[in-house]
Amino acid sequence: MAEGEWEQAPVRKKHLDRNSEGTDDRPLENGMDEEEPNFSDAEDFIDDVTDDELLGDLLKQKPSEAVGIDSVVVVDNIPQVGQERVSKLKNVIRKIFSKYGEIITEFYPEENGKTKGFIFLEYDTIENAFKAAKNMTGYKLDKSHTFAVNVFSDFENYGDIPDDWQPPEKQSFVDHGNLKTWLMDPDCHDQYSVIYDGGETTAIFKNTPSEGVLVEARKRWTETFVRWSPLGSFLATMHQKGIALWGGEKFVQIKRFAHPGVQLIDFSPCERYMVSFSPVLGVNEEPLAIIVWDTRTGYKKRAFHCETACQWPIFKWSPDGKFFARLSSDLLSIYETPSCGLLEKKSLKIPGIKDFGWSPSENILAYWTPEAKDSPARVTLLEIPSRKELRVKNLFNVGDCKMHWQTQGDYLCVKVDRVTKSKKVQSCNFEIFRIREKLFPVDSVELKEGIIAFAWEPVGSKFCVLHGEPPRVSASFYNIKTKANIELLKTMEKKQANSVFWSPTGQFVILAGLRNMNGYFEFIDTNDMTVMNSREHFMATDVEWDPSGRYVVTGVSWWSHKVDNAFWVWNFQGKLLQKCAREKFCQLLWRPRPKSLLDKEQVKEIKKNMKVYTKQFELKDRQNLTKASKEQIEKRQKMLTDFQSLQEYLEETYKGLKEERLHLRGGVDTDRFDSNFEELEDEEEVEFFLGEEITEIDEFEYE
Amino acid sequence: MSCMKPISLLGHERSITQIKYNREGDLLFSSAKDTSPTVWYSINGERLGTFDGHGGAVWCIDVNWDSTKVLTGAADSLCKLWDTQTGKELANFENGSAVRTCGFSFSGHDVMYSTDKTMGRSCEVLFFDTRDQSQLENNSPYMKITAPDSKVTSATWSNLDKELISGHDNGALCLWDLKTGSMVEEIMEHTKGVNDIQLNKTGQLFVTACKDSTSKLFNATTLEHLKTYKTDRPVNSAAISPLYDHEAMDVTTTSSRIGKFETKFFHMIFEEEFARFKGHFGPINSVAFHPDGKSCSTGGEDGFVKINYFDSQYFEFDFEV
Repeated sequence: MAEGEWEQAPVRKKHLDRNSEGTDDRPLENGMDEEEPNFSDAEDFIDDVTDDELLGDLLKQKPSEAVGIDSVVVVDNIPQVGQERVSKLKNVIRKIFSKYGEIITEFYPEENGKTKGFIFLEYDTIENAFKAAKNMTGYKLDKSHTFAVNVFSDFENYGDIPDDWQPPEKQSFVDHGNLKTWLMDPDCHDQYSVIYDGGETTAIFKNTPSEGVLVEARKRWTETFVRWSPLGSFLATMHQKGIALWGGEKFVQIKRFAHPGVQLIDFSPCERYMVSFSPVLGVNEEPLAIIVWDTRTGYKKRAFHCETACQWPIFKWSPDGKFFARLSSDLLSIYETPSCGLLEKKSLKIPGIKDFGWSPSENILAYWTPEAKDSPARVTLLEIPSRKELRVKNLFNVGDCKMHWQTQGDYLCVKVDRVTKSKKVQSCNFEIFRIREKLFPVDSVELKEGIIAFAWEPVGSKFCVLHGEPPRVSASFYNIKTKANIELLKTMEKKQANSVFWSPTGQFVILAGLRNMNGYFEFIDTNDMTVMNSREHFMATDVEWDPSGRYVVTGVSWWSHKVDNAFWVWNFQGKLLQKCAREKFCQLLWRPRPKSLLDKEQVKEIKKNMKVYTKQFELKDRQNLTKASKEQIEKRQKMLTDFQSLQEYLEETYKGLKEERLHLRGGVDTDRFDSNFEELEDEEEVEFFLGEEITEIDEFEYE
Repeated sequence: MSCMKPISLLGHERSITQIKYNREGDLLFSSAKDTSPTVWYSINGERLGTFDGHGGAVWCIDVNWDSTKVLTGAADSLCKLWDTQTGKELANFENGSAVRTCGFSFSGHDVMYSTDKTMGRSCEVLFFDTRDQSQLENNSPYMKITAPDSKVTSATWSNLDKELISGHDNGALCLWDLKTGSMVEEIMEHTKGVNDIQLNKTGQLFVTACKDSTSKLFNATTLEHLKTYKTDRPVNSAAISPLYDHEAMDVTTTSSRIGKFETKFFHMIFEEEFARFKGHFGPINSVAFHPDGKSCSTGGEDGFVKINYFDSQYFEFDFEV
């Protein structure tokens, strides 16, 4: 008993005192008013023995109220039976519902000798109760009885809904300003993001010919890396709690997405949707690994499980953002937006499907299936949403396939590794599908050597293949001519390269030997197949072209290489423009540009008048240059005059200390370098032996 | 910029730790990890002799103003005083840990050296008067300065022997009053260890070489930071030209390319690099200007000391002003 309770006792005692003296509260059983020994406690006794100590084991069995309600389910539409069939009914119900967990108690309310038609079941855990409710709703016991199962707490929740419906509060429109301000830069300078200081600082720079102009720099802006959205509107930063999107002129936070432990991010090409991945297990069987978000509202559109390890991005988007699809074993699941439901409510069954890819310009899917018992390997082009097979190509002796769509969607290249019967790789074929022509004709190119890299020219009809074994790597350039075969333009041999980087506008390409090839670059003009320049950026790990194709950046990232971290800016011809060393430089990404608003005609017109524009630009460039040198000269003048006044001061001080100097060195004046040459007593001449030369003189002939 | 006739001095078997010219410039002293500090004629690179006695890598070397005595400090915890001409050992200072930096005072009478921090022992700078035999025999310095937590990596006498400037492992620069032995000033301009401190001709300015890839110019009396010279590699050594407003810096590179280890020249006032030359096959550890300003020497990890005479291009160069 707690001390406080003692207060009441005296009252009771008083009450009883009328009847008996000093006895305890319980009335005597036999009601006898005898003199009984006094069993009550002394008046000032404080009972500090708790109930737990006295009745511990009994109390443990006391059902706790909290668990009671949440793990109870109510099952409606139970048959109403009389007493004789109740036990049979109970057995049946018990058997069915025990699947989801242990049933602790069951309650079958009765009325007039029959069960009421609904029952209460208490499960051992809340999770099991949930599971039962979820799965048993709609269970048909027999023709006329379909269960309706609810968790008991649902009644409270639904019962609590207020009668007057209040319309949801209107959220005021948050104006984030013009998200495309960076495109309005008068000199058309592109932006790029730089992560350095080992990830501590992220900065955005404007790319100017002389050096990057800092736009914004923030510490701990991201916890791991950043990514630009495909059209450049947003900068996405990754954090332990989720993802944040930033944009606008001042890079304010536009939206936040909570996804604990998020590691990977992907965008739909139209920027309307974002997909994030976190290797965290779902709670209550709710999927949490992959979430599809609406970027503008910030809402979760749909969440998915991630059962097996797959390649990221797991979902591949159609170019217009209307569909996204994913591969699982033997299934191709295509979802449509904005509902995020399966297209036609079911996935496509494609036994053995290995890989697929969307065309970058149309809603066409390409996928390939390996050889099966009764069918050869094949590549199929599928139109979505009609699911019409546009083209099927059978392939033979296939080991593996890789699909490469050209950036404009004009061509699809399928790289096929041909194997012999014993599964040894024999040669490599490129099957080129011409998408723009009727019936999708396919041409083939064969290469006997192993393929290191393949890249399409982003705008145009060429592609480049790196083949061979290092150090004997060759680069072959092919051009696809309409209505004819694929022409081999040139093969360049003995190249030190392991990757190919085309300029985003086409024509120019860099053959790069990254990482273990020590950062060797060759800049090539594919119009005449000449090597414009070959350069080096020792230990470079990354190459990034700017969206306009004028500049390219090579970088040594701290993530791969711990010293000499820097990024160098080159122009497309291979001329080094800037060397930017940054402490622990990690990543540089150019801000993408959205598609040009000009149509083909307007572009043609501008190209025609190039001469006029060139004159204007050159004038501007020259002005900028003289301005820079003038600024520099002024800066130097100032530095000189400032320092000269310091030097004058120092000279004065020096002169003043002359006496002290003489004193310290015993009267010897050592101020000037030649100050005591006159005092030298003897000049020493030192002769140095330089070398010996022996010439043989012929013997004279004496007469 | 190419130098006309670099002379290579190969006498050391291990990497060079420090090189110093004497005041008149005719002698060049070098210390290396091979325990034998050496003296050479700077005009042609002929080796005069070695000072034998140390048992460990010699970290520092200095010569007094009239070139009569040489001071060396080594990893064998000894600091030795030598007679330049005969090579005889004049004094031997024993310590509990390696001697990292040493130097003669302006007057030449006093010597100072710093010891490394070891277990239980903090880093100290000790001062001896070489005229006092008792100090030399009993190994009792007339003054001791205990450095703060970070060990002294480089130090020099300053302000006509009234003060000491020390550079530390954590980038700190301290100014000490040598009358009282207390710290007058401490600045944290550098973020990583200071590898070298060298005064200019008049002793009023000094330049630092730091692991944080910069070299900075300071006022020796006030420790005011005046200029910064930036590179992309840690700087091992820096010196100020006695002739022009130039400053030479040595940078180490970790590139495995041959000959990529460079000495860079900066304009002292404009902080801009205007020349560099290669030649060493490993990081350059020490650099010194000849007192006449017409040549400079570099000592490298490869064990070579190179004397580089400047060509006319160097003397004619000037920035557009």
